[in-house]
Amino acid sequence: MGEATLTRDHLPDAAPPDSRLQSLLLHHEIESFNARYAQALDEQRLADWTDMFTEDALYVVLSRENFDRGLPVGLIYCENKRMIQDRAFALMETSMFAPRYLRHIIGNQIALGAESNGTVKSRANYVVLQVLLDRPDATLHQVGVYYDVFRRVGDTLKLAQRRCVYDNLLVPNALCIPV
Amino acid sequence: MAWQRVASRSEIAVDGVLGLDVDGSPVALYRLANEVFATAGICTHALAVLSDGFVEDGKIECPLHQGQFDIRSGKALCAPATEDLRTYAVKLEGDDVLIDMEQPAAYPPTVLNPVPDRRAGGNIPATDTCRINATNPDPERPLAERYVWPAEGLTRIPDWVYTDPTIYEREVEKIFHGRSWNYVALECEVPESGDFIRSNVGPTPVVVVRANDGSINVFENRCSHRAAEFCRKLSGNAREFVCPYHQWSYDLHGNLAGVPFRRGVDGKGGMPADFNNAQHGLRRLNVTAHRGVVFASYLEDMESLQDYLGPEVLKEFEATFDGRKPRLLGYYRHTLPGNWKLYHENLKDPYHATLLHTFLVTFGLLVAGNRSLMLSDRTGRHGVMASAKSERKSISTDAKKEMRAYRDGMTLAESRFMDFIDEFDSPWSVTMATIWPNLIIQREMNTLGLRQIVPTGPHEFIMKWTMFGFEGDDDEMTRHRLRQGNLMGPAGFLGLEDNEAIKFVQDGMQHVPGRQHLVKLDPVVAAGTSDSLISEASIRAMYRHWRAEMGL
Repeated sequence: MGEATLTRDHLPDAAPPDSRLQSLLLHHEIESFNARYAQALDEQRLADWTDMFTEDALYVVLSRENFDRGLPVGLIYCENKRMIQDRAFALMETSMFAPRYLRHIIGNQIALGAESNGTVKSRANYVVLQVLLDRPDATLHQVGVYYDVFRRVGDTLKLAQRRCVYDNLLVPNALCIPV
Repeated sequence: MAWQRVASRSEIAVDGVLGLDVDGSPVALYRLANEVFATAGICTHALAVLSDGFVEDGKIECPLHQGQFDIRSGKALCAPATEDLRTYAVKLEGDDVLIDMEQPAAYPPTVLNPVPDRRAGGNIPATDTCRINATNPDPERPLAERYVWPAEGLTRIPDWVYTDPTIYEREVEKIFHGRSWNYVALECEVPESGDFIRSNVGPTPVVVVRANDGSINVFENRCSHRAAEFCRKLSGNAREFVCPYHQWSYDLHGNLAGVPFRRGVDGKGGMPADFNNAQHGLRRLNVTAHRGVVFASYLEDMESLQDYLGPEVLKEFEATFDGRKPRLLGYYRHTLPGNWKLYHENLKDPYHATLLHTFLVTFGLLVAGNRSLMLSDRTGRHGVMASAKSERKSISTDAKKEMRAYRDGMTLAESRFMDFIDEFDSPWSVTMATIWPNLIIQREMNTLGLRQIVPTGPHEFIMKWTMFGFEGDDDEMTRHRLRQGNLMGPAGFLGLEDNEAIKFVQDGMQHVPGRQHLVKLDPVVAAGTSDSLISEASIRAMYRHWRAEMGL
């Protein structure tokens, strides 16, 4: 009798949520998001990249110097998705720059847990390598940290905030594709 | 010897002066009674055209600061002129005036205190004592012979101007460390005593610090003991500077305060007894500030910043720095693989604006017909590229054809970022002021920045952008400036294109070396201010100045 009760108590439906599993799923979800994000930029599909943000998203690329001192200036400063769209549009349709390949590598992701309002804060390190067509080497174009806030829109995660804080203060000539 | 006919004597009034361009070199011809003399056309003190000056009693008086030179010998006669004018040999054949640019005038100079020619046996005649002084020594002559400007004059710029290491070294000496005011900081970056930032004068690292008496001091970031670059932080606050290598310490004025074990230990070692701290301070620079913008110079006897800028450029400076106190918003820093002068030229070249920056044209910010001005100061070294934003309107089909990617129906999803809030007392919505030798003042509608050029060699420079607003800006105005900042900087819609274009120019010269650039647009204006966008007159004016400063 006692045994039966015990079994019933351990049925999955009635079990408390396994926080380790939740956190693993969330980690996986963010990791897969970042892989798709990197791929969209690497393939210079900037319209697809734009769709990974919420309507009110903040997207800023700023130096660690500015970030640490509380100075707001960003290399790229977008206060909403419309500005992100304009950035994508201008880079693809009007900007003149030499052809290049960029490879975005994202790692060391840490999801800092879900907030009560349904958003998730997270961080990740990133590296952007650049190859110009007349040089044999891939150069380290940018290295930094993403400070992110994700929000669920329908079934999918989107970025409500991505602040890309880069450590190499001297940008090599020009940043032609977002990070 | 190359005699060439340059004028008719009858063109020159008696006791008059005529300005000429001979092989791209400014020359002044004078007529005293029936004799004709020739000297360099630019004053040795400040950049002034002597043919605008006044001839009296065999002397030419400079129009700018009233320095005087003896016309026959080129001798500097009174302050502020201290360096003699170069002279050229002249001969007359009938009415024709011939000069030899390689030979100084043979006229025995009037010398009050003759200096013996220490370089007897050189190729300068012993009588030509007026040429002997500290800043015009013999070794300069071979350089001028090695680096010969194209015969066409200022409409050509030879590649060596941008690629040669000897030329670069001379630029550091003659320009950045020479008679120039170099931008180093905004006062609001060092508001409290002890606040400092690292900065540069040309390639040379300096520290800009506010001392306890409120003064701003600029000194080299190089320990006077073993040369260590002692200040490593980009910014901070310090009571003193201590070199980490041997703990030599300096006060906020750059004076040497302490030398560890100066008297040795146990009566052994240490500095010589006559070692005097006062003689071993950091190398200090001359400092001036105007409306919150700080400049430094290696010369103690610099003219005021106002005189240095000249009235027209000063007016534009004061239109941007209109009395409101600047507030720091942040920095961009980037390298650019091109010669530092190409950045000045890019902003003295309004021709490129509508052709390279399709973004501007696409969204109606600037079209070839916009009201605009490309201003040069009278020396040619500073400039202001100015334009007034027009409401978007259809432009003629002809003008469109000339501009690569103008397309109708292109609109921004967030167009308010292109709004211009008219906050300045100026007819221009955009001004780019190139302040020789290391500063660009950007007023691109409401996004404001100071771009500081830090050359690192002939093929590369670092650009530091200090972006600012003003005290009193509300949160929305600050955000507007930040949003509009997307236009500029190394990721800016316009900025990244400029950086790429300048890199392409340096690539072109390195891969196909030894040629010349062509800067012929707008021949009506030989060199100087033009009201046409389709002009390179301002670039020509800059090289007239550069050649005079470089002695080339």
